[in-house]
Amino acid sequence: MATSFKQIEENLKTEAGKLLDAGKVSMVLAYGRGYDEKHPLPYVARSLADVDGMVFNEYCTANLARYLVRYPRGTKIGIAAKAADSRAVIQLIQEDKVKRDDLVILGIPVYGMKNAKTDEAIDAKTTCGLYNPVIYDVLLGEEVHGQPVLSPYEVLEKVEAMGQDERFAFWKKELDRCIRCYACRKACPMCYCDPCFIDQNKPKWGEKSPETGGNLMYHLTRFHHLAGRCIDCGECSRACPVDIPLYLFHKKVAKECEEMFGQAAGMSIDEKPALINFRVEDSDKILE
Amino acid sequence: MSRIGVFVCHCGLNIAKTVRVSELAQFAATLPDVVVAKDYKFMCSTPGQEMIANDIKEHRLDRVIVTACSPLMHEQTFRKVLSASGLNQYLLTIVNIREQVSWVTHDIDEGTAKSKALLNGAVNRARLLAPLTSRVIDVNPDVMVVGGGIAGIQAALELANTGRKVYLVEKNSTIGGHMAQFDKTFPTLDCSACILTPKMDSVMQNKNITLMTSCEVSEVKGYVGNFDITVKQKARYVDHDKCNACLACTEKCPGKGVSEWDEGLVKRKAIYIPFPQAVPQKPIIDRDACTYFIKGKCRLCEKVCEQKAIDFEQQDTFSTMKVGAVIVATGYDLMDTKPLVQYGYGKYPGVYNALEVERLFNSAGPTGGKVTMRDGKEPQAIAILHCIGSRDKNNYEHCSRVCCMYSLKFAHLFKEKTSADVYQFYIDMRAAGKGYEEFYNRIIEEDVKFIRGKGARVAESADEPGRLIVEAEDTITGKFIKLPVDMVVLSPAMKPRADSKDLARLFNLSTDKYGFFMERHPKLAPLSTMSEGIFIAGVCQSPKDIPDTVAQANGAAAEALTIVVKDKMELEATTAMVNPASCCGCQNCVRVCPYGAPFFKEDKGVSEINEALCKGCGLCASVCPSSAIIARHFTNEQVLAEMEGLMEF
Amino acid sequence: MSFEPKILGIACNWCTYTGADLAGTTRLQYPQNLRVVRVMCSSRINPSFIFKAFQLGADGVLVGGCHPGDCHYNTGNLYARRRLAVTKKILEFSGMEPGRFRVEWISASEGNKFAEVVREFTEEIRNLGPQTKFKIS
Repeated sequence: MATSFKQIEENLKTEAGKLLDAGKVSMVLAYGRGYDEKHPLPYVARSLADVDGMVFNEYCTANLARYLVRYPRGTKIGIAAKAADSRAVIQLIQEDKVKRDDLVILGIPVYGMKNAKTDEAIDAKTTCGLYNPVIYDVLLGEEVHGQPVLSPYEVLEKVEAMGQDERFAFWKKELDRCIRCYACRKACPMCYCDPCFIDQNKPKWGEKSPETGGNLMYHLTRFHHLAGRCIDCGECSRACPVDIPLYLFHKKVAKECEEMFGQAAGMSIDEKPALINFRVEDSDKILE
Repeated sequence: MSRIGVFVCHCGLNIAKTVRVSELAQFAATLPDVVVAKDYKFMCSTPGQEMIANDIKEHRLDRVIVTACSPLMHEQTFRKVLSASGLNQYLLTIVNIREQVSWVTHDIDEGTAKSKALLNGAVNRARLLAPLTSRVIDVNPDVMVVGGGIAGIQAALELANTGRKVYLVEKNSTIGGHMAQFDKTFPTLDCSACILTPKMDSVMQNKNITLMTSCEVSEVKGYVGNFDITVKQKARYVDHDKCNACLACTEKCPGKGVSEWDEGLVKRKAIYIPFPQAVPQKPIIDRDACTYFIKGKCRLCEKVCEQKAIDFEQQDTFSTMKVGAVIVATGYDLMDTKPLVQYGYGKYPGVYNALEVERLFNSAGPTGGKVTMRDGKEPQAIAILHCIGSRDKNNYEHCSRVCCMYSLKFAHLFKEKTSADVYQFYIDMRAAGKGYEEFYNRIIEEDVKFIRGKGARVAESADEPGRLIVEAEDTITGKFIKLPVDMVVLSPAMKPRADSKDLARLFNLSTDKYGFFMERHPKLAPLSTMSEGIFIAGVCQSPKDIPDTVAQANGAAAEALTIVVKDKMELEATTAMVNPASCCGCQNCVRVCPYGAPFFKEDKGVSEINEALCKGCGLCASVCPSSAIIARHFTNEQVLAEMEGLMEF
Repeated sequence: MSFEPKILGIACNWCTYTGADLAGTTRLQYPQNLRVVRVMCSSRINPSFIFKAFQLGADGVLVGGCHPGDCHYNTGNLYARRRLAVTKKILEFSGMEPGRFRVEWISASEGNKFAEVVREFTEEIRNLGPQTKFKIS
């Protein structure tokens, strides 16, 4: 039986309060009230008094790992992390953007999260399919067991089955709708480049206005930059104002990377990101 | 706005035959920023170079494009023209329309069209080139020679005689290589030992040479002028500093090992020197044959050694040498002919390979120089089979070059030492070399029988037990021959040392498909490699005889000297740098660089690159997600602009 | 007029570019549709170069590097192998015909292989017809 959202919220407040009170962290990244229940906001508690403002409900989908890289190196941070969020934390540790010792991970085992826009349940279709955090210091509820374990890649079947031309038409239609608001990269915990390659003028990798060529360049290159790093939280797609199913592409790349390199992103702090690593015995078959 | 000059070379008819060169020049003149475009017969000639130099001045050019042969051929030539004309040498672009256009097509329309596209790409790229400053580095004056055969010995002596300090690294316990195994050398029939051992001794005596036997290179760091090479001194179990070479130990030793020097024809002691003239004259212990190492007791050698030089506890040790240049001269192995079952090597005792026969002739060899076979008998008929595994698509395609000649030498020595009939089974006789054809004619006079046809099979005689039958087709008469003989000599293909690929990896050398080291250019840079400061000599490059090997060794010594003779040298300026404003601090560059050039500055949260360590591969630039790394001379903008130009036409 | 594909080649200086030179020196004939950009190492190849090449109208892209283990920079092509494999998967999933992007290890001594690969690849691209999906007209 999964711990209730209310109970998790209580546990979150208690544990965050303890950490802040003891001075173990200088802030706790969590969720706070938005303009309604469906729109909780990322929230930073810096003192015991701030803890009361925390909330947790089924709409707290944002991946708070996104905010870890904002603070100076060495800042002691507590972070509320659901399953995919915890993988993002691991990935950031792998990439040395944060240090494990500087973090207190408040793991949230949870089932039944919802997409605020559609009220659909968020399951393996749009996220990595895990319910329990991969890494944590404190667990804010009981581990979720007994829920169906779904492959995060099943959802790809339809697009994989398409012919090349049909698939190109599918992606062209989707990517042509991109308005280049960059909400996807803002929501992404792994997109911490400043500036992003697409904002460069030397070289100019692609048009900056929303049009086919520039959109394609931005998205394809971003898929590559996230290859072996995307932890499949699905936030890019939920953040997208025009609902481009970016998660499908990311999932496909993640699936290929898993098959080719035998490792999934954000599962172990001892690994190296797959694309800045190699094995001598990698097969040439991966190029076929 | 750039001022670009385009210079189209005809290369005689090499280019002009399949590219309309004047049309190409006219086309160039229409491209933006091109202020002068000319074509000329030989751009690399003095008048060609002068033309470029004059135009740089007259037209105030700030970019030069030479449309000619491969940049690997003449980039340096034309860079010098720019430098001499006051233009930064990195503002040169070479368009390769010879090796990659005119020589690979017969169609002048296609050739011209492709040349235009390449030139258009080059103009795009040239516009974005930046002047670069070469790094000047100190050069270490010492040289390392790897391999102590005749090539390594010769190179080491030449260098040492110029006053350079030389480290001569040899993996065996003596220098001398294969040449030390020979009795005579063709075509003069000089005694091999008489010409080699004085050189071996000179190595020992030369104060400038540090002789490192039983040693192997284990790590190579650094770059031309400043290599740090770690050498593994394999445990000898004899302290050579204490040993006085009395060799009492080798007399008492009960252990038996296989004599490598005698090609396994006889046994040697477990503590041994490979042969009486070995350099150094100090023994080593063969762990695999030593009674103490096998059974845990014996130590007879220790008891007889007055110098207390035996050290069973000795371990491999590692030391690092600093040198400015390296000569690799690691020689060859003979192909293992056992897998060629049709020749019966290893199955019939009467079948020998060439090196074994060299030992039979040698007075220091297992038979004291008498030609007696494994059964103790003197052969009455001998067949020498050429091209075993050489000139053979299934094994080694190359001609091993020395087999015809040493087979003739064998025939002569057989005639001299036995009363046997000698037969040569050959595909073609190749006797190109000074005095070689003459030697061939002399051997014909000596009543040696020549059968033009490759030995196809060696079988046991059904009629005469113990004798062998050589089967072949005589391609002159067209007849199939079955020749009964007592002894068969195989002339196997020469191949690179078994570990040549490992060595290639250490020194960053390219190899051909068999593992022979690739030269930088087959004609114009036969001793240089793609790795600056590393030179090759002898058979490790390709099969060759002793005169050619020695000539190469001298050449390689001279090449190495051109580097270490200078105190300072310029390095390519094409290194990478970080634009800190764009660096996102992901440290991908730090993680991937094979040379440890990038490092992370914690305080600023950005990476920087130590240019002294950077070799300019550009890996960091491609793993940099925010395009913060500038791979000089191959920047993102330059590559993209070139691509755009190439795809325009 | 028959379709003449435009093929972009990106070749590493030490192996494939030198192998291409060797193909020339030995006068091997191959189609003239390939235009080669020289880079120092196959690891220099940014995935965006490949996407860009197709946007610029390349009908095919051929990348050439040293054989794994023979990289002039030790490990460059081992990184490149992974990065280019992912590039290939991304192209395929975006709807690009898989045959239009190819990576080959061609050493400095393999002039024959270079010519053979160019012949084969040009033929393949010719059969695929013009690349219109990414091309920006």
